[in-house]
Amino acid sequence: MTISVLICDDSGFARKQMARSIPKGWDVDISYAENGQEALDLIKQGKGEVLFLDLNMPVLDGYETMQCIQQQELPSMVIVVSGDVQPEARARMMKMGALDFIQKPIDKDKLFDILKQYGLYSGDKGNDSPAFEKPTEATERLDAYKEMANVAMGRAGEKLAKLLGVFVNLPIPNVNEIASTELHMAIAEVHEKESISAISQGFVSPGINGEALLIFDDANVKSMAKLLKYGEENLNTQLELEVLMDISNILVGACLTALSEQIHVKLNINHPIVLGRHTDLKQLLSTNVNRWNKITAIEIAYAIEGSDVHFDLMLLFPDSSMENILDKLVNVVE
Amino acid sequence: MSKQAELEDIHLKHDLLGSIEVGILILDREFNVHLWNQFMENHSGLTPKMVKEKCLFDLFEEIDKDWFKKKCNPVFELRSPAFIIWEQRPHLFKFNAYRPITSQSQDMFQNVTIFPLTSLSGEVEQICVVIYDVTLEAVSKQRFKAANAQLKKISRTDGLTGLFNRRYWEEMCELEFKRAKRTEQFSSLIILDIDHFKKVNDTYGHPAGDLVIKTLAKIIRTAIRETDIAGRYGGEEYTIILPDTDVKNARMVAERIRRLAEAFPVEYEGQEINFTISLGIAMFDMSFENYTAWIDRADKGLYEAKEGGRNQSVMMT
Repeated sequence: MTISVLICDDSGFARKQMARSIPKGWDVDISYAENGQEALDLIKQGKGEVLFLDLNMPVLDGYETMQCIQQQELPSMVIVVSGDVQPEARARMMKMGALDFIQKPIDKDKLFDILKQYGLYSGDKGNDSPAFEKPTEATERLDAYKEMANVAMGRAGEKLAKLLGVFVNLPIPNVNEIASTELHMAIAEVHEKESISAISQGFVSPGINGEALLIFDDANVKSMAKLLKYGEENLNTQLELEVLMDISNILVGACLTALSEQIHVKLNINHPIVLGRHTDLKQLLSTNVNRWNKITAIEIAYAIEGSDVHFDLMLLFPDSSMENILDKLVNVVE
Repeated sequence: MSKQAELEDIHLKHDLLGSIEVGILILDREFNVHLWNQFMENHSGLTPKMVKEKCLFDLFEEIDKDWFKKKCNPVFELRSPAFIIWEQRPHLFKFNAYRPITSQSQDMFQNVTIFPLTSLSGEVEQICVVIYDVTLEAVSKQRFKAANAQLKKISRTDGLTGLFNRRYWEEMCELEFKRAKRTEQFSSLIILDIDHFKKVNDTYGHPAGDLVIKTLAKIIRTAIRETDIAGRYGGEEYTIILPDTDVKNARMVAERIRRLAEAFPVEYEGQEINFTISLGIAMFDMSFENYTAWIDRADKGLYEAKEGGRNQSVMMT
C-alpha cells in the first residue's frame, strides 16, 4: 500500500535533500510543503501520513505545527528533521508527540533505522537517486547556502546552549549576494543599535576562504557576562573583551566545523581580530571594508531565550569561494 | 616503513618542532605537561625533562589558574578551539621580548590558540596550546593608538588657551543639544567676551592681549565645574556648556567668572592691566530647532549686557 509522505521545509534545497534520502524501494507518494500551514492543509487532505518536519520556518514553524497536529489529533506520524540539535529542541518536540528526531544534514542510515524501527519500511536500503543538479538560478543558489547556514547555525547554537546552560532561539538565516561595500545593508538585526563591538576571524581551505564577523550590541554585554558567570559587578572593558572572545570562540568554531563537515574540507581558522569596540555599525564597516568585491553574506541572528542577549554572526564569502562551495555542496549530498 | 626511514621521519619531525618559531605544548585534563618544544624551552629556560608530567600551574605561578581553566574548558568539553588574543591578556607566559636591546617592549606579547587532540578512542584527553609571538604587532598597535589619541587631543584644543577649539566645542554643543532634546533635562549655555579688548591690544600690544586671553581661560577653568565644557569661540570670545544646570545656577557660574576677572588684573612687564567681561546666559529650550539657535539666544544676552554698560551678565529666559 502506498504511504503518503509529506516533506515540510522552507528550503527547496533541503526538501530535495530529504526526498533523495528516502529509500528507493519504499512505496511512497511524496508531497511538499514550504511551511507548517501548508503542511497542515495537506495532512487534512490525507497527504501526510508520514511527515518530515523542519523546525525553523516562516509562517508556522515546526513547534507550532506540531502543536496543531497534537491538538487537532491529525493523522500524521511526525519525524523531525532539523538543523537545531539542542537537546531541549528535541525534548520539546518529543513531548508533543513527535516519533523521532533526525539532525541535518540527514544521515540515510539513521533514517533507514528509524523507518524500520517504527515498521514503516523494512525493504532494501539502496537508494541511488539521480544526481543532484547544480543550481543555476540565483534564488536556488541562495537557498542552498541558506540550508548550509541553517545546519551550521544549529550546531553552533547547540554548543553555545551547552556552554551557557540556556536555550538558544535559532532564526532563519538571511542570505544575500551583495557588494562588500553594501555590507551594512545585509545586517538587519543590529542596524539601529547605538554602540556595537565586533570580532572578525578569517578562515581558509583550498579554493575557499571567508570571514566570520561577530557583532555584539554593547547594551547587553553585561547580561552575557552574567551568563558566562563572570561577576557582572566588576565588568570593565577588559572583562567585556573576555566575554566577546568566549562567545566568538564557541560560535565561530562550531559554525565553521559544521560548515566544513557539510562540504568535506578542512578549514583553518586564523586568530581573531577585534575589528572595533563601542562604535556604530556604519563607522565600523566604513573603516574596515575598503575593497569592492561581490560577496555572499550569511546573517544569523542568535537570541537567548529568557534574556535580552542577542548577537549577529555574519559569514562572508567572496564570490570565487561560493562557486567552490556550491560544487562541494552538490557533490557531497548523495 | 623501514627502520631507517622511520628514524629519518622522527628526526625530521623533531627538527621541525624544534625549529619553528612558535611555542607548542600539550596538556592533559590535569594540566600536566606532555610536550614542550624548543621554543618553550628557549624562552622559559625549562627543559622538556624538567616539565614532563608536571602541572603547568606549579611551573608557572604567573598564570591565572581559574582564568586559563575557564578558557580550556570548552576545548575539552565541547571540542571547540579557543583563541586568546593579546588584547585580552598581554601574555600567557611571561617571556622576555625577542630582541633584548632594541625591542620596544620588555615582555613578549602573545596570541594563544588552544585546540583539542582526540585520542584513538575518540575522546579528548589532551589539548594542544600554541604560543605566537605578536610583540611587534602589539607594540605597533599601541603606538598607533597613542599617536591617534595625541592627534585627537591636538585637533580639539585651542593652542593659546588650552580650552577646546571652536570646531570641537560646537560638536560638543550639538551633542548636548540632542541629549537635552531627548531627555528634556535642564541645560544652559554661557557666551562671554572681554570688554574693550581692542583697547588692551592698542595700549599694551598684542602679547599683552594674548596674556589677558590666556588668563581669562585660566579663570574660566577654575570657575566652572568638572562637567562643564568650555571653548574658545573666537578671538576674545568664550563659550561654556553647563549640562544639567538651570539658568539660575548657570548665572552663579557666570557671576563667579565675572567677579574673578574683575578682581585679578593681569600683570604684564610691570604694568597692571585691568579688564572686565560681559556674559549672556541662555537655558536650553525645547523650541530651539538646532544648537545654533541656542547660541544665538545666549548671544542676545551678551549684546544686552554690552548695551547695559558691560561688566555684567544677562540671563535670557
